[in-house]
Amino acid sequence: MPEIEITLKVNGRTVTWRVQPGETLLEALHHHHLKGTKLICGTGDCCGCGVILNGNSINSCCMLAAQADSGDLLTIEGLAQEGKLHPIQEAFAEEGAAQCGYCTPGFIIRTYAFLQEHPHPTEAEVQAALAGNICRCTGYVKPVAAVLRAAEMMQSGP
Amino acid sequence: MLKITAYYSPTTLTEAVALLAEEGRTVIAGGTDLLVNPRYMVGVREVVDIRKLGLDYISVEDGWIRIGAGATMRTVARHPLIQTLANGILARGAAVCGSPNIRNMATLAGNVASALPSADTPPALIALNAQAVLVGTQGERIVPLDSFFVGPAKSVRERELIRELRIPLPNDKISGGFYKIGRTAEDISMVNATATLNIQDGVITDVRLVMGAVAPIPLRTVEAEQALIGQPAAEETFQRVAEIVRQEVRPISDHRASADYRRRMSGVAAIRALRQAAGLAPHGEEWHHA
Repeated sequence: MPEIEITLKVNGRTVTWRVQPGETLLEALHHHHLKGTKLICGTGDCCGCGVILNGNSINSCCMLAAQADSGDLLTIEGLAQEGKLHPIQEAFAEEGAAQCGYCTPGFIIRTYAFLQEHPHPTEAEVQAALAGNICRCTGYVKPVAAVLRAAEMMQSGP
Repeated sequence: MLKITAYYSPTTLTEAVALLAEEGRTVIAGGTDLLVNPRYMVGVREVVDIRKLGLDYISVEDGWIRIGAGATMRTVARHPLIQTLANGILARGAAVCGSPNIRNMATLAGNVASALPSADTPPALIALNAQAVLVGTQGERIVPLDSFFVGPAKSVRERELIRELRIPLPNDKISGGFYKIGRTAEDISMVNATATLNIQDGVITDVRLVMGAVAPIPLRTVEAEQALIGQPAAEETFQRVAEIVRQEVRPISDHRASADYRRRMSGVAAIRALRQAAGLAPHGEEWHHA
């Protein structure tokens, strides 16, 4: 099977990967040891595999790796800088917005994309923004609180 | 790993059409249906990505809104003219299609190409009298959306790609309504209803009423439409016509809803879409409900 060579920016670093035609972007991330992005439903229904491609949050399970060629990709691994958690990550930890934690990278990535566009969200806007992210243990009250808190933290600066 | 043996990313329409002429190949854009629903991969080994063809435009010219095959649900939902045309029914359908992440990937043309009877946007496109521009090796052809769908996941599209969808800008003011009944905020419709009305002096002079998820295709309820023309745009009319809608739909039972429930809710959704179009929706009904 002919491999395809793709070049893209991953968390600020330009990489060239050889991928299979049928390989999803999520599978390619895992093959390259970026395992923070989770496979949960694999059918685009839970947003657990969320990543940010060219500024938009997307589900990496239903996109081919080949389609990400020349893209600019941000994954959960790219949020912390020099060992310091991103304010969104801190807010999720402080609000206890994770239980088993498996869906958390998807929530945080979706939150990152959302807060870029809506730095002063209302609670209803946060609920709508997270409507696609499914959590099967802690529920949604704490994640919503975490997003509102993260918005405040990002306003007041680091 | 999906069983795909080759990926093509053509940069010209001619190249894309030539690639698609071969058996065993299909179009990929957003990928959110194609890559997760095995029904679309039957007999498919190779995919042709159409996202580098420069088709991600939404333009307004010569009395048409032209929506290129690469335009995502998100861009459709946020387009200012689409948000106002017939009370924004198409923008509202696009805005409730899947989750935010899906709307960043999925395209309007893909929602049409997938041809699912439960899809959120084809009813609005039909109600707005839209056309699909199909391109194949034989050239281009234009198909009105109300004769595009043939059955679940089946359309008149052969080895062609949808280049763009076109919506005529109406001469007269038309108003619209859209009502979706779904299990959750991001689930597909159990029932949806979309209406467009022309009203002159309180009387309905033209109408389209399109029901989703209650027939093998997005269904224009033509008998209900006939019964609406010439009638006052009023609650009594809508209540009476809802009974015709219930008889006209051909729903199935599945894990989301029984056929009986869908039939009953068809009447409810139709009334609520018509009320919106007539400016009569009570508080809480101005918008779709999940």
